[in-house]
Amino acid sequence: MGTLEQLRDAIVEGQAADAVAEMKRGLDEDIPVQTLLDDGLMVAMHRVGQLFEEGEIYVPEMLVSSHAMTAALEVLRPSIVEQGVRSSGRVAIGTVKGDLHDIGKNLVAMMLQGSGFEIDDLGADVYPERFVQAIRDGAEVIGMSALLTTTMTNMREVVEAIGDAGLRDRVAIVVGGAPITQVYADEIGADGYARDASKAVRLVQEVLGRLKATDGRGATTH
Amino acid sequence: MSSTASAFHTTASSLTSRQRVELALAHEEADRVPLDLGGGLVTGMHVSSVYKLRQALGLDSPGTPVKVVEPYQMLGEIGPDLMDALGVDVVGVGRPTNAYGFRNDGWKPWSAFGGVPLLVPGEFPIDPEPNGEILMYPCADRSAPPCARMPKAGFYFDAIVRQDPIDDEHLDVADNLEEFGPISDEAIDHIRAEVERVLPTGRAILGDFGGTGFGDIAFVPGPTLRHPKGIRDLEQWYMSYVTRPQYIYDVFDRQCEIGIANLARIHAAIGDAITAVFVTGTDFGAQHAPLISPKTYRTLFKPFHVRVNEWIHANTGWKTFIHSCGSIWRLLDDIVGAGFDALNPVQTSAAEMDPVRLKQTYGDRISFWGGGIDTQRALPFGTPEEIRAMVHERMRIFGRGGGFVFNTIHNVQAEVPVENLLALYRAVDEFRPYPIAGGS
Repeated sequence: MGTLEQLRDAIVEGQAADAVAEMKRGLDEDIPVQTLLDDGLMVAMHRVGQLFEEGEIYVPEMLVSSHAMTAALEVLRPSIVEQGVRSSGRVAIGTVKGDLHDIGKNLVAMMLQGSGFEIDDLGADVYPERFVQAIRDGAEVIGMSALLTTTMTNMREVVEAIGDAGLRDRVAIVVGGAPITQVYADEIGADGYARDASKAVRLVQEVLGRLKATDGRGATTH
Repeated sequence: MSSTASAFHTTASSLTSRQRVELALAHEEADRVPLDLGGGLVTGMHVSSVYKLRQALGLDSPGTPVKVVEPYQMLGEIGPDLMDALGVDVVGVGRPTNAYGFRNDGWKPWSAFGGVPLLVPGEFPIDPEPNGEILMYPCADRSAPPCARMPKAGFYFDAIVRQDPIDDEHLDVADNLEEFGPISDEAIDHIRAEVERVLPTGRAILGDFGGTGFGDIAFVPGPTLRHPKGIRDLEQWYMSYVTRPQYIYDVFDRQCEIGIANLARIHAAIGDAITAVFVTGTDFGAQHAPLISPKTYRTLFKPFHVRVNEWIHANTGWKTFIHSCGSIWRLLDDIVGAGFDALNPVQTSAAEMDPVRLKQTYGDRISFWGGGIDTQRALPFGTPEEIRAMVHERMRIFGRGGGFVFNTIHNVQAEVPVENLLALYRAVDEFRPYPIAGGS
């Protein structure tokens, strides 16, 4: 079995030590960084997402795989920087003001990272102005999470703050979390809603594609 | 009963609340569907909503504070006058200390959530940090690192994870069991006194004595502990179901032994005075799927749920109560099979949790203690008419043949319009009498 296949298997199986070892082997074998990213990490995380959507695996297994992927990515990171490999896009993600729940948000962040996105994790209890600042820092996508009916309403404030700052057309806004629905996302003027971490990856790819199609600035602004 | 009380709760009855709940849990139709509000720590109401409701019902003059009886989720006291006004049938009895390990006494005034007047326990920290958040300390010990925080814009607390580096070579189950020990004589005395206080009221008692909730993520971080050891980080805990299953099993195994020994002592003190006991509040469901696989439930949790339920049924007259949020349809064969008598909160807003299918499939084997009104959308954001329609629908679906204790789906949160709260309890009063109007 080839190194890439073993790397993918280690991630899907959630074997962090094996994933790290395979990534090191891949670098030793001079497999191109882009290949390790695209055909290693991204394919593996896509498979993890599929298994989750099919009900074959659940949150614990997904977390274990995501952590294995992150460990392997850390091995690769110096080479990514050195070779100036471009990310799929920059996503700033956070749990909104008043809300401290971040397991779902963290999982989305890890899944996005495993799909080649650069993540600016703003943490939890994030105020609107912090999201605005993240766009000024180069974020092309804003991801907001909320678990509570009392805090989901703060998502609207963020959308408004981004509009007030004159940055709305520079960024795509996506939302998620237990009480959030597509209807609510539409109501507050977000660009999309995803119900889980796997669907969030596809959503971010879609909205970013739309953003770049309508606005030439896209991924190169930072 | 006061004159205010008659506003909602008008039907005279020869049954006590306790008899009503017992009939429901025996899958029989009583005179009306029993109502729980505040009997458990997941069946109550945020203090700011209790304040609004009490004001609207004319129970208090403006500015009269409401007690915070549960500081973690900032639940308000559901006092006897409010119970009478709404026709509440269930009272909770638990240990003398709260989720942070200090007593609910020495009350002092506080104001929060936009100026709502509150009374909080004397040990409750009311001075905010410079950033506006409130930090909670384990057992109110300020020499220890804080164990929870309520953000400035928040409505209750969440755990601050305190996690030492995990050394898999030297994991010791005792580290994850520090909070589970033999119940103290003082706690037993408190429980006995509380039971004796409530018994003459004729209300049903839901006992919540702690210790038998395996892997409850609200308590995994060890909020009462000054220096929690073992696995306390939430992601690490969930991952341990996959990476360290034997460790988790061993923790639960020992916790189960301790928990049953404590239940035996409590039963020796109070006998069958309580109607039901809160066994576990561990959430097994997320919004769109279970959090864990059916296999994980079967191998790590079910053996201990079976053990606790079997012990309770063999040795007491208590019914057993399980709380799990979320989409748990795929786990229900096993959860029901583990021998629970009542399921809460029956989150019908989650995936696969269709009320009709739940009642048809499991209604003869488990009672639904919840599912009365959706608290994610209908109650906070719906209209009074929508709320009335949903209450009627749920009474018809879940109430048929008994096996239903009306309860909102989890605690009523803050920021719910008071007209919606009034519509909710007006509709409960309208539709709870058996036979339930409107056919099946």
